[in-house]
Amino acid sequence: MKLLLIEDEQSLRESILTYFSAEGNICELAVDFQSAMEKISLYQYDCILLDLTLPGGEGMEILRALKKLNKKDGVLIISARHSLDDKVDGLNLGADDYLVKPFHLSELQARVTAIVRRKSFDGNSTIIFNEISIDTIAMKVTVKDRMLNLTKKEFDLLVYFTANQRKVVTKNAIAEHLWGDEIDLSDDFDFIYTHIKNLRKKLVEAGCKDYIKSMYGVGYKFENI
Amino acid sequence: MKLSSRYNRVNILVSLLVLLSTGVIYYVVIHFILTEKLDRDLRIEEEEIRAYAEKYHKLPLAGDFHDQKVSYRLVNPSDTTGRSFGNSVYLNEKEHEKEPGRSLTTFMKVNDQVFEVSVTKSRLEAEDLVRIIFLISLLIIILLLLTLFLVNRFLLNSLWKPFYHILDQMKAFNLTGRNEVKVEQSKIDEFVELNQAVLLMSQRVKEDYKELKSFTDNAAHEMMTPLAVINSKLDTLLQTEGFSDQQGELIEDIYMAVGRLSRLNHSLLLLAKIENNMIKNEEPIHLKPLIEQKLRQFQELLQSAEIMVSTQLTDKEVLMSKYLADILFNNLISNAIRHNVKPGHIEVILNASQLVFKNTGITMALDGARTFERFNKTASSDGLGLGLAISRQICNLYGFSMTYAYGAGQHTFTISF
Repeated sequence: MKLLLIEDEQSLRESILTYFSAEGNICELAVDFQSAMEKISLYQYDCILLDLTLPGGEGMEILRALKKLNKKDGVLIISARHSLDDKVDGLNLGADDYLVKPFHLSELQARVTAIVRRKSFDGNSTIIFNEISIDTIAMKVTVKDRMLNLTKKEFDLLVYFTANQRKVVTKNAIAEHLWGDEIDLSDDFDFIYTHIKNLRKKLVEAGCKDYIKSMYGVGYKFENI
Repeated sequence: MKLSSRYNRVNILVSLLVLLSTGVIYYVVIHFILTEKLDRDLRIEEEEIRAYAEKYHKLPLAGDFHDQKVSYRLVNPSDTTGRSFGNSVYLNEKEHEKEPGRSLTTFMKVNDQVFEVSVTKSRLEAEDLVRIIFLISLLIIILLLLTLFLVNRFLLNSLWKPFYHILDQMKAFNLTGRNEVKVEQSKIDEFVELNQAVLLMSQRVKEDYKELKSFTDNAAHEMMTPLAVINSKLDTLLQTEGFSDQQGELIEDIYMAVGRLSRLNHSLLLLAKIENNMIKNEEPIHLKPLIEQKLRQFQELLQSAEIMVSTQLTDKEVLMSKYLADILFNNLISNAIRHNVKPGHIEVILNASQLVFKNTGITMALDGARTFERFNKTASSDGLGLGLAISRQICNLYGFSMTYAYGAGQHTFTISF
């Protein structure tokens, strides 16, 4: 994937860059409004990660510019502004998704992957991971041509894991992804364990290897073995 | 009571009182002066009779007097008193009428005989004069009061017009609205000043409001960015290999704290926004499907907490922001789950007039007055202590009332529409 990260906060930029680059993605940077405008007019990206508050201009202006240039790049807004108006405005101006800071990098990765998948020209809506095949439109999972009967949450969980392969994904991040951050969850995420266990069981029973590994009690890692 | 009618009432009452008392004084004084004049005439008459008696040693004939009646009576010399005045009846012979009269009674000694002489003059003219004066005064009073009333009524109404105009403008003033306060030009200094003050105030309020808005925005941004950095650094840190379970636990604790802090920040900003009425987009919301959807969303949590849910919902439509409706029900449901027992029970009842959330929990009532206060929470609670404050704030915004009650092991939150 070729990504453009427009973000003025250096530390955040570095973290995102490290996280995405590890998977062989190309991630370009823009630190202010001017350089961002330059980059979007010159190049094409699979997805643009856009911070709304930038030195030198408003992020919304970049969205307008993209629309004017008739660009089809996917756009994910990452903003500290938890405002409904901003969300609605952003999506109306052609952004694909809106993520409020602070976020988990795994969530960011999942959202970007989803946008890129939706935007991909070959209409490839199927994720293949070894013997697992996930049809994201029909919401069906097959292992070695055998249909798996997953619940909605288990399906979402599996897609989330495939987007964050070889990464430690925390229980917090999983809970927020599956139930939304609006739900003020209790800090006890043990109930997640049940969902992971069920998914694992269903995959292994279908003849899949056990790709999900518990990590230091903090989270899980989905990894080819 | 309106200012003008109050002023009118006092004004007319005082005018009436003053005019009436001056009328009475007027009447008394004129009456006194006229009586004095009559008495003086009577005395002159007496002098003339006395002079006549001295000169001719006899009393003039009673019938010789034209405008007054004179009568004599022989009295015992010891009965003489002095000169005295009194009101009496005057018989007008020309017109054969009895008129009010003024008489003087005195005693004269003629040829060693003592006569009581009484002279009576008609008071009619004087009385007529007084009556005319009284009538004129009365007419003036009525005319004056009428004029006062009309002037007050119409002049005051038109005088106060700019005031009502500015009042309407102030009533229609909406912080978030775009319409400015418009004032009507006036020549009255007080209203010009009032207009200026209102204009200035509305501008200042709008500016303060704008500042507040940008402050909330900035505060969110400024606080969220470091939080986002911490979160992302933790995520990055976790990708480096070789943590022990103990280190993992530490990292998890940091995650929890960061998560809590960002939720807290979001909640505080949300509260500020609701208080400042910054959330618009009201739309009709069907509560029944929304509650059902929310309960489905919480299904896994309910299962893992072994909580049974029973519902009794009839459809009810309210006008509110979808965003706030989501938050309200998320808060109510997560509250009912968090403070429940294992196994527990939640009951949701919705009808046309109210929405009731009942849940089992600690067998002790919460402190009713403080339940909805910010950061008020039970010792065992691991929440932020803002959920109920936000819920009530949302209810207040739309004119619903939210109350808490405890009974038979059930904590009940009722929203009345």
